[in-house]
Amino acid sequence: MLETPALLAHSADLELVIRHVLAGLGHGIHAGRERGAGVEFSEYRAYAPGDEWRRVDWKLLARADRYYVREAERDSHVATWLLLDATASMAEPSRRVDGLSKHWYARTALACVAAIAQRQGDAFGLLVISNGKVEFTQASRGPRHLQRVLAALQRATPSGELPDAETLRASLHFARSQGMVFAATDALDWPSPLGEALVRLRHMRHDVRLLALRTEAEVEADFPTGHAYRDPEEGACLHSFTRADRDNYHAALESHFAAVRTACRQHDVPLCEARIEQPLGELLRAWLRNPEARRP
Amino acid sequence: MTSMQPLWWLALPVLLLPVWWHMRKRERTRTDLLATARFLPAAAPQQQRVLRWSDVLLLLARLALLAVLISWLAVLAMPWKGDTVFVGPSLGSSPWVAQQMQSAGMSAAGREPLPADLWNWLARNEHEWRPQARFLILAPRAAMPALPPRLAHAAELRLAPSATAAAIPATPRKRHIVVSAPDERLPGWQALFAAFSTAGDGANRYVLSDAPTTETELIVWDHPGTEPPGAWKAPLWWRTAAANGQTQTLQGLAWNAPQWPLHDVDAARALYERWQAAAAQAAPYPMSAQVLKAGRKEPLPAPLARSPEWLALALMALFAIERILAHARRR
Repeated sequence: MLETPALLAHSADLELVIRHVLAGLGHGIHAGRERGAGVEFSEYRAYAPGDEWRRVDWKLLARADRYYVREAERDSHVATWLLLDATASMAEPSRRVDGLSKHWYARTALACVAAIAQRQGDAFGLLVISNGKVEFTQASRGPRHLQRVLAALQRATPSGELPDAETLRASLHFARSQGMVFAATDALDWPSPLGEALVRLRHMRHDVRLLALRTEAEVEADFPTGHAYRDPEEGACLHSFTRADRDNYHAALESHFAAVRTACRQHDVPLCEARIEQPLGELLRAWLRNPEARRP
Repeated sequence: MTSMQPLWWLALPVLLLPVWWHMRKRERTRTDLLATARFLPAAAPQQQRVLRWSDVLLLLARLALLAVLISWLAVLAMPWKGDTVFVGPSLGSSPWVAQQMQSAGMSAAGREPLPADLWNWLARNEHEWRPQARFLILAPRAAMPALPPRLAHAAELRLAPSATAAAIPATPRKRHIVVSAPDERLPGWQALFAAFSTAGDGANRYVLSDAPTTETELIVWDHPGTEPPGAWKAPLWWRTAAANGQTQTLQGLAWNAPQWPLHDVDAARALYERWQAAAAQAAPYPMSAQVLKAGRKEPLPAPLARSPEWLALALMALFAIERILAHARRR
């Protein structure tokens, strides 16, 4: 029903969109490594007010007449980090579909990933990069945290430029333990502080998944000619576009993305390229699929 | 159109403003935001060469609006006149005038002809003079006003000696008379008015005509038993009627007499004196030469609507046109 981004783009309610996108998407695309409390027994701990009653060991209570709580060893502590590039260039609208923009698409895709992570019981956190700053939402679990993350995504508006490398490095303090990083960007700035930060995360053995978004008009270069165009992040500098420039434009764009692909392959970062006119479910399937399984 | 405040014309360079505006608007090319613009060749900002007809009309309307506004303001009365000498018309350029201006220390002052109703005229138009300006009034004679003149500027009245005034002969005053009489009595009337002309020492000259105008002072209707045309109007009528007397009609006051003194010299003189006594105005009481100090601090308020009315209407019309065109262009 609400299959195409064209129809989805008219809905302002992120949660509704998620429900529709994930309706056709089976569980278990992404294997959560978190198995919940108490799978692997580790130790007993004295009961403290606030602990859940169901974690109290009743047999031990009968035996020792004391309250003990079973502590489980977590085999892994995988958090999912969602990284949204909300710089000014992400406001680029689809010139085919009204109301659809790279920002909308990236935001919705990340919201879907957050919803999936929540279903699987994983912790998830959010970084919104916009206006030279990083807005950080702590990783946590549960439906209330999902609401918090969705609100933060909803709040994000594309503006400004990427922060410099220093700021970005300073805000990677979350990267203590291994996790997954889903980064949605337009990859037009490359090499960029964001790219460096992702590579850095990858070298810290995080599972980094990069989503590079483009519009169909960008790929096929069918902007109206005769206008002057301005880069939203470059300022007053004007660019022109005529029929004759089309081939050069194609070549420049292709070589840029080829460089991005090469850099990603070099640092073992799975790159998922998508056009924002594609159905979102299809994209999510491709983005979340285990890259190891794809490899021959 | 004379400009009463010529300094306002210095504001004319403001007209360059809309021109510059329109040029700037043409300069700006429409730009769109495009994320991948960096892969396109750089371009210099270009002028939009297309100048739509509404742009030209709007520019013209704005220029006209400003020009009319400036001219309207320029006519506004503002104090800009300095020391002024008012010279009576009969004095002209007599040496006495130059001598008086010299002695009053106002040889560099501007000269203006003496207005008819001097003191009232000065009170009404005083706001055109700067506060420190002085008036010097040079006239052969001056009429004493009912109240002492109160002006915001110092004024000095100097009267020319009678020899200077007498040197210039006064032009006779023309008085328009309509005579309607049978042919045999017409020469008699003409002779009578010719005699009246000489009787007044040449001060009056009587002009006879057949039909009245607005200047006609007297209509002689020497057709006993008939009525004059209804449209004829004059302050005084001499009509031939059965009985002596005076009647007030809608057409004017009528003196009736059965027989007009066309051949009797004494009776003609009596008629002339009676007519002059009725028509002549009382001679004004002469005012002596004197220095008048400023009687008030501020001149009487200037009437604002000094500019011609059509200019204000044009201003409004142009403003409406400018708004309409600006609106039409935006659509």
